[in-house]
Amino acid sequence: MNLEELIATEELCERYKVEHTFIRSLSDSGILEIITVEQREYVHCDMMAEFEKMRRLHYDLEINLEGLEAVHHLLNQLRELQKTNRKLQNRLGLYE
Amino acid sequence: MEFIDYYKILELDKSATTADIKKAYRKLARKFHPDLNPNNKDAQARFQQINEAHEVLIDPEKRKKYDQYGKDWQHAEQFENAQRQQSGAGGFAGGFGGGFGGGRQGSYSGNFDDDTFSEFFEQMFGGGGRSRGGGRGTPQYKGQDFNAELQLNLKDVYTSQKQTLTINGKNIRLTIPAGVENGQTIKIKGHGGPGIQGGPKGDLFITFNIINNTPFKREKENLYKTVDVDFYTALLGGEITVDTFTGKVKLTVKPETQPGTKIKLKGKGFPKYKKENQYGDLIITYQIKMPTHLTAKEKELFQELQKLRT
Repeated sequence: MNLEELIATEELCERYKVEHTFIRSLSDSGILEIITVEQREYVHCDMMAEFEKMRRLHYDLEINLEGLEAVHHLLNQLRELQKTNRKLQNRLGLYE
Repeated sequence: MEFIDYYKILELDKSATTADIKKAYRKLARKFHPDLNPNNKDAQARFQQINEAHEVLIDPEKRKKYDQYGKDWQHAEQFENAQRQQSGAGGFAGGFGGGFGGGRQGSYSGNFDDDTFSEFFEQMFGGGGRSRGGGRGTPQYKGQDFNAELQLNLKDVYTSQKQTLTINGKNIRLTIPAGVENGQTIKIKGHGGPGIQGGPKGDLFITFNIINNTPFKREKENLYKTVDVDFYTALLGGEITVDTFTGKVKLTVKPETQPGTKIKLKGKGFPKYKKENQYGDLIITYQIKMPTHLTAKEKELFQELQKLRT
């Protein structure tokens, strides 16, 4: 894995003013993947959008970690349904 | 430009306390926050209204000004000038257009465009002094991801091809690798919405909708086709010509070939995704066509054959 694509968790804590336990909890819930390289923890840059979203939901909307897990799961389902819906609408367009 | 009733937006009456405003805001924000309503423009617009209403009502000075002028806000400047002339001093410092200059207090951030205030708000409170981040520093936000669907025919994706897509008025040149799957989504980094506060641009996700209007069934890199073989060729053996994806091939049919027999043509399938010059297989299933409308002579001969077998 390219190290340039990884962001150290300390940097995330510093930059986003979040506690390390928050990042750890997101990892424990399966929302965020923490990658350990030479005993240093990182998050892949592709996960940043998800991390920022969870940070906003937790700190701005005061949704607790159990809530975040449920939200994460439901949003994934919603995205899949939207994808299916878009596909079906396109297919329907062929017959209209 | 119409007057915006911020109390109505937050579902409050004019006597609402700061605690009521916070509570109503939080309740509505949880419902309409863009993070919780992906690809929902109505929810995003509603959230921006809620944010704006909160911005005004939570700030005592802004609220006072808003309450004072109400629906007559457009005449407020004239009113203030008249007041100043009468009393020699007083009125709101800054007035219209100048704004209060303060940062946003406790408002929520979201993954959307920065230009989130109505014309009404800009006119009444000015556009200066915006900041984001809800009091937790000013982090940069990645721009919104865009989703698009690209419809192609199966024949189009047999070879790699260049396409130019227009996304939000911008042309994007893109190479679609041969062998892309139906329903497959590819990410094009940095072609989404603009980042907030210098954050990175969002990404563009393109999902392929592959229309198969060929006689082939596709499963990953393998193609499947059912081919009719006449009864006599199946029974006695012979040669048939079969259409593959790239042209015709001659096949030898063995004598006594049974219905449903499968033949694999190696490398005559679909290209493997991102693997140059590698192809799947074409699997052909023989369907034996029985003769119909037998003549009396044919029937007689078949009956003779039947007798030989029993």
